[in-house]
Amino acid sequence: MGRGLEHRDSQSPWLPPELRPQDFFDVSLMAELRQLKKGITSFAVGARHDLIYPFEERLAEGTVEVEVLGQGSLAERIRCARAGIAAFYTPVGPGTDVAKGKEVRDFNGVPHVLETALYADFALVRAWKADRYGNLVYRGPRTFNETMAGAARVTIAEVDEVVPLGELKPDQIHTAGVYVQRVVVRPATPVTSWETPQ
Amino acid sequence: MNAGEPERLHPSVMAMIVTRDFQDGYIVNLGVGLPLECANAMPPGREILLHSELGLLGFGPVISDHTKADPYVTMVGNLPVEALPGMVFMSHDESFAMIRGKHLDIAVLGGLQVDVEGNLANTQFDGKPAGNLGGAPDLAYGAKRTVVMMRHTTNEGAPKIVNRCTLPLTAPRCVTRVVTDVGVFDIEGGRVILREYAPGWTPEAIQQITEPPLAVASDVREVSLV
Repeated sequence: MGRGLEHRDSQSPWLPPELRPQDFFDVSLMAELRQLKKGITSFAVGARHDLIYPFEERLAEGTVEVEVLGQGSLAERIRCARAGIAAFYTPVGPGTDVAKGKEVRDFNGVPHVLETALYADFALVRAWKADRYGNLVYRGPRTFNETMAGAARVTIAEVDEVVPLGELKPDQIHTAGVYVQRVVVRPATPVTSWETPQ
Repeated sequence: MNAGEPERLHPSVMAMIVTRDFQDGYIVNLGVGLPLECANAMPPGREILLHSELGLLGFGPVISDHTKADPYVTMVGNLPVEALPGMVFMSHDESFAMIRGKHLDIAVLGGLQVDVEGNLANTQFDGKPAGNLGGAPDLAYGAKRTVVMMRHTTNEGAPKIVNRCTLPLTAPRCVTRVVTDVGVFDIEGGRVILREYAPGWTPEAIQQITEPPLAVASDVREVSLV
């Protein structure tokens, strides 16, 4: 799916929020193609000094913006977008740079910072199977995939296969199709995460 | 390591020091870097559930032979891990609800600096254009206990246990224990208490590579794995 972005002309507003190593292929591609304006992420750079990712290069050049916040706050901001909640107070962040310029308020004597919902135009998620309603099931930890599905105007799910309606059982479906606007079938055997080109 | 100084503890030994405190039934999260060593140093005979921010609870040791790994079962650091019976997968928002909701007993985090107030800095690496927070701010707040596992000094030999963190904070007042490659320290009431020292080390030698004055516990001893 990341490869498909190569052919887009428009400037993407931000990168998918979680830079897991297996996603670097995709995110790096967008950074390399200068299709990123801003990254809202909890992992802005690689930890290694001998490996500089394209997004880091763009940051060093000053050609992209970055907003770094804790992963829990990022996940909740996205979940709130899906759930129609405008903002929330979290106890995580006060006393650090993340809270600068944001409202901080005490609840039960504990400072909380106000974080706002993070809406997207497009959410690209990776799932295992879909049916024609767009119902999704995932394999393994569902990470930001389940969190993001429905937090955007258009959610595009990449899946291994589309199965007939009814094959995914009601008790098993992780993401209801109402959150999903497009399904793309992954063409080839997935590259295992530790073999992802970096 | 400076010339002539005693040998420092191997990360696998540091991991054993950290994990000996894991009690039966504990829910534990391991940060990237040194703390991941703990996944392979679980105390025998105790059932400990490992949590990973990716959305994984109750996984087993890291699998080094990738041909035997399930590519879908990975933890933070993108490492394949063993699937154990009773393991649960979830989303990020659920995973962090579990963290913030204080359902985890211990978070083991890496550190760049820890100060006498228990403030933790582990965000900003030298020479990088931005920092990485990851799940650390949530873990440091939400876990009932935050243990930092780090080398005692930087590559340049500067102390990492300091009077006041000079690097951007990940989370304020969260660290209660620090395990380094020279000793075990508790942070209590604005003091750093030396509990154990590595073989060959003395409290005096450790003080020389530590910025704040150390309080030496009355029962200070050589590191013991029991």
